[in-house]
Amino acid sequence: MNGIPLIRLADVSKVYHLESGDFTALNHISLDINEGEFVALMGPSGSGKSTMMNQLGILDVPTTGEIFIAGKNVAGMTNLERTHMRRDVIGYIFQKFYLIPLLSAYENVEYPLILKYKKRDTTGRASGVLKSVGFDQEMSAHRPNQLSGGQQQRVAIARALVNDPKILLCDEPTGNLDRKTGFQIMDILVNLNKEGKTVILVTHDPKIAEYAQRTIQLEDGKVVAS
Amino acid sequence: MRDIFFDLSVRSVRLNFLRSLLASIGIVIGVVAISSMGMLGTNMQLLVKDQLTTGINTIAITPDVVRAEPGSPVNSNTGITDIQLRDIRDAAGINEVIPIDRTNTQFSIGDSDGRGSIYGLDPVDIKNIMNVSEGSTLRGESDAIVGATIANRFNLKIGTRIKIGEPNVSVTRPVVRVVGILSSVGLSSSNGINSDNAIIVSDTWYTSEFGGGNMYDQVNINLKDVSTLTEVEDAIDKKVNRNKEVVRISDSSSRITSVSSTLSSLTTFILAIGSISLLVAATSIFNVMMMSVSERVQEIGILLSIGTEKGEIRRMFLYEALILGIIGGVIGGIMSVIIGYSVVSAMIGNTSYFFLPESIIYIPAGMLIGMIVCLISGLYPAWRASNMDPIDALRNE
Repeated sequence: MNGIPLIRLADVSKVYHLESGDFTALNHISLDINEGEFVALMGPSGSGKSTMMNQLGILDVPTTGEIFIAGKNVAGMTNLERTHMRRDVIGYIFQKFYLIPLLSAYENVEYPLILKYKKRDTTGRASGVLKSVGFDQEMSAHRPNQLSGGQQQRVAIARALVNDPKILLCDEPTGNLDRKTGFQIMDILVNLNKEGKTVILVTHDPKIAEYAQRTIQLEDGKVVAS
Repeated sequence: MRDIFFDLSVRSVRLNFLRSLLASIGIVIGVVAISSMGMLGTNMQLLVKDQLTTGINTIAITPDVVRAEPGSPVNSNTGITDIQLRDIRDAAGINEVIPIDRTNTQFSIGDSDGRGSIYGLDPVDIKNIMNVSEGSTLRGESDAIVGATIANRFNLKIGTRIKIGEPNVSVTRPVVRVVGILSSVGLSSSNGINSDNAIIVSDTWYTSEFGGGNMYDQVNINLKDVSTLTEVEDAIDKKVNRNKEVVRISDSSSRITSVSSTLSSLTTFILAIGSISLLVAATSIFNVMMMSVSERVQEIGILLSIGTEKGEIRRMFLYEALILGIIGGVIGGIMSVIIGYSVVSAMIGNTSYFFLPESIIYIPAGMLIGMIVCLISGLYPAWRASNMDPIDALRNE
């Protein structure tokens, strides 16, 4: 820790202009998340969790306020710079896994490496990461639709990890899994956090939230508990 | 190392194989249309050009347009004189010089009357500038050779007698006997003699009937070497047109140029018709690419959210369009050879020019154009895919 938080939201608001009027999804939020934290983001539907995740994931920019991620002001970046930040600094793990259907399990993990280095991986890193999340090597040539939910989520975690990001953003990572598999996935995330990754997790499930060291409670676009 | 975006495109095409193939058929048709029509036009041009150039080694010299004095008889002195002929012979050097008499008159065969040109030629020269297809060349004094058109129209046979001249009750018209029939020359008559509609008689017979023993209506020069054309023309011009323009020197090169340019516009025109089919093909490629983009919105969302650059998404879809183009182009190229050959053989009846570079080039050109059309059709779909908002795209089910 050098005193500067990994993520800083300074008075962030996000307003959507709808036909029915303006909708404030995030209302003047200020928040710091330090490197190495395991944070659970909770709140009822419509509380602004998704909007918050999109902001943290650099998929969107705030209407007002500033977001700093790894020391950089997201709002001031070009589209290409934001794309490269998503590729290099953040790993995404989704409820529906969101693997690329036309690529094999191995290629899904290799893909971010190709994005970063503009060439096929020859270092064996993709296989190594797949192995480290407990994915069966023999399945690596299979397409996502041939894999079980747990296997798909392991591939997704491997894909998120392969470029060694500082932040793992997990949007209901156990939401589509049975309870037992869900806990296995949580164990992987806990271990990754122990290895130094900053994990931010959105969940409805208090049992899952228990894995986190810190819980941020959102309601109507405001932080009610942190 | 293969590009992963190329792999993705190949797999996407393979996943929707039937749809992609159907879209490519449009390109196949377009490529075949362009190649076949282009080759048809070019083969026609080559054939006609070759037919025309058979007479290109001839220079025709005719008296310059008569500038008659008011009141004086128009046809009194129009002709190439013996003196001019001698000058022409001097200037022509080793090349053959053929003086020709000509007039236009009426003639009768049995009860039917006709009108045509009568040419008076030295019997020795006839074989050098004309091709007798039936019978023989002139031997006797009142022998005649007739052109193919006249022979056909009046059903002339060897031995038929023709009365020459305007019918006149008080005068018996001279009679010639057909001894030979010329083969048809059609367009390739490039030596200033329209022999299809002519009756050829000996120069002595001609002068005895029409006079003008020391005057000629035209002088032809048969060049031994075509490359000396301008040289010989210049020499004659210097020698004969010394003081003023008295003879006109012409050759068929200008006619070839004008016929060629007409045919080349015709080729352009039929090519334009062929391109309409490519335009239709472009629409079907565009449609399939838009389908591909809208079916893969969520996938595009995934790719964008995990850090794929817009340019890489664009590239992926342009590859896909290009693959459709390559499939269509290659199949179209192969079919163009078959269909193009058939069309040329059926419509021109001569395939000897088909494999010449200027004809066969239309196949790779057609293929290339087909592929470029596919790429262009893919531009907008690719641009649309790359400019999606990753959040909206991810939410799309």
